[in-house]
Amino acid sequence: MKTVLISELKPFLDALAEEMELYVPKKSGEHYVYNRYDPSANVQVEFNNIRTCTPAKEFLFPLREIVAVYPESSDPINIKPFAVFGLKQCDLRSIEILDIVFKEAEYEDSFYVSRREKMFIISSDCTQPADSCFCNVLGGKPFAQNRYDLNVSQVKDQFIIEAGSQKGKDFIEKHSELFTKTTDIILAKRDKVRIETQKQLEEINSALEFDSPVNEIVGNSQDSVVYDEEAKTCVECQGCTRVCPTCHCFYLYDTKQEDYFTKIKMWDSCMRIAYAEVAGGANPRKALGDRLRHRFMHKFSYFLERYGVDMCVGCGRCVDGEAGEVDIRKVLKKLNEELKGKDKAKAEAAK
Amino acid sequence: MKRNLYQPINGGIVDIIEESSTIKSFVVELEEAFNFETGQFVELTLPGVGEAPFTPSSSPYDTKKMEITIMKAGKMTGLLHECEKGQKIGIRGPYGNGYPIDEFIGKDVYIISEGIGLASIRSLFLTLVDRISEFKSVVCRFSAKTPEDFIYKNNLFDSWQKIEGVDIQLTIEEANGTWDGNIGVVTTILSPDDVDISNAVAVVCGPPIMMKFGTLKLLEFGFSPEQIYLSMEKNMCCGVGKCGHCMMGKYYVCKDGPVFTYEQVKGHPEIWD
Repeated sequence: MKTVLISELKPFLDALAEEMELYVPKKSGEHYVYNRYDPSANVQVEFNNIRTCTPAKEFLFPLREIVAVYPESSDPINIKPFAVFGLKQCDLRSIEILDIVFKEAEYEDSFYVSRREKMFIISSDCTQPADSCFCNVLGGKPFAQNRYDLNVSQVKDQFIIEAGSQKGKDFIEKHSELFTKTTDIILAKRDKVRIETQKQLEEINSALEFDSPVNEIVGNSQDSVVYDEEAKTCVECQGCTRVCPTCHCFYLYDTKQEDYFTKIKMWDSCMRIAYAEVAGGANPRKALGDRLRHRFMHKFSYFLERYGVDMCVGCGRCVDGEAGEVDIRKVLKKLNEELKGKDKAKAEAAK
Repeated sequence: MKRNLYQPINGGIVDIIEESSTIKSFVVELEEAFNFETGQFVELTLPGVGEAPFTPSSSPYDTKKMEITIMKAGKMTGLLHECEKGQKIGIRGPYGNGYPIDEFIGKDVYIISEGIGLASIRSLFLTLVDRISEFKSVVCRFSAKTPEDFIYKNNLFDSWQKIEGVDIQLTIEEANGTWDGNIGVVTTILSPDDVDISNAVAVVCGPPIMMKFGTLKLLEFGFSPEQIYLSMEKNMCCGVGKCGHCMMGKYYVCKDGPVFTYEQVKGHPEIWD
């Protein structure tokens, strides 16, 4: 059985929690964040209709972790199986990007890989995109398409659970007593909800139309004045890179313990002034505008050129999360207008 | 099982050579076999303090000991300069690409360097000298601020100059009583007649400003961008193309470099910064 039905989430989540550590979304203010699921607490788990505020990368690439103990090395990390419920298609795409970086055959990051192997992904459909969501503009969808073990879709007061991997199928089979069969009618209803949500997204982003592919717009923005202008509204909080599910810059630093030393890997941000500075003091990106340009070029041009996918999933977390006023959508739009202007000027000059 | 990317190989400093008032060479021995190609770099860990990228200055053919020549430039290098023989260290790497030595065979190898740039150039020089008959010539043009600021003085002023097939000219940037050679930056001793440009490669390594003007001079002489090799210095941190600190345009200097042809990088921003 690949697709089954259940009328409430609790028995499903309890079964998951029996097998592994389970993390579920919990409303905090106006956003969702992840919490460890406690089956004994009689709390209704919400079906998060939108992505959480915190990025999925936290589960695979923690904010801070010890990556080496020396001079005597310690045992490799031992990660217990864990499950995350409520990841959205944008999260799954971000995991695809992190996989490219950290699972690269030649230089595999064993810390990432250990977590990735033990992660059981339970994605769910978006039903209420936020004003900041723009995944559709970058080819995304409001429902999972691949890279999930199980996917949950809410149709009124029922939940459709679909397996996307062998692990997912095994889970459904093992717990078949929890589920009932799906019907064509309810699957059709799910498709309808999906189409409606897609429409909502298109409406939210109706003004976000580009005249050229985004990678070309950004790829041609090397000399753009837009970045310096936009940098004036940036307060260098680095919030954008923290909440970004694909940003993966990190910093290595060493600490001294009583009788050993550690090397620690911690999130870093390319928006930080000393990020690219070398020991002699040379800094290729002293100006904030240059750092902003680099961030955009990396996301939309460099990464794509190198790995064949771009590095923005259109989740809009950076729009919600930052303290300044840089809005990735508006920057892209301005770059689009600028390129259009340049192309027009070129065409006129050619006449 | 694959080795943990971030685990340093343990080692220790077995000797320290004072090269100038601000530069020391550290001879290190490691607990495991360690091979590198000339031009590749390593991440050197000072336990509990931090890690920084350096290009070994010794010959890759010397597999027992490795030398790393370090200028006092920041916090980490300052602390390294305070270290004594016996100090424990760690090494990760080697990382990046080396110089494509086989592509240099049969050609004039034109090496331009200044100051601490000579550290990684020494490793290249020793590699070339080891196989000197394979190259048409090795032509070196080096500069330092004053004669005292030259590193590897004993070799540079004497034994290296006597090697057949090697042509070395030196210049200093500040006039000095005992110096009877050229005074001026390194570009003042470059001449289009130094090598047969139609059958030569150039290697430029040193401070960014010198690399910029050295490269421009070579282009002016008629070198093509493909013939010019640059060893780039950026903030290499993880060494394996993940952490992002060393990015120069689309390149991860740690993985795609640190050796690039000018052709590869000429269109990119920030190469001389």
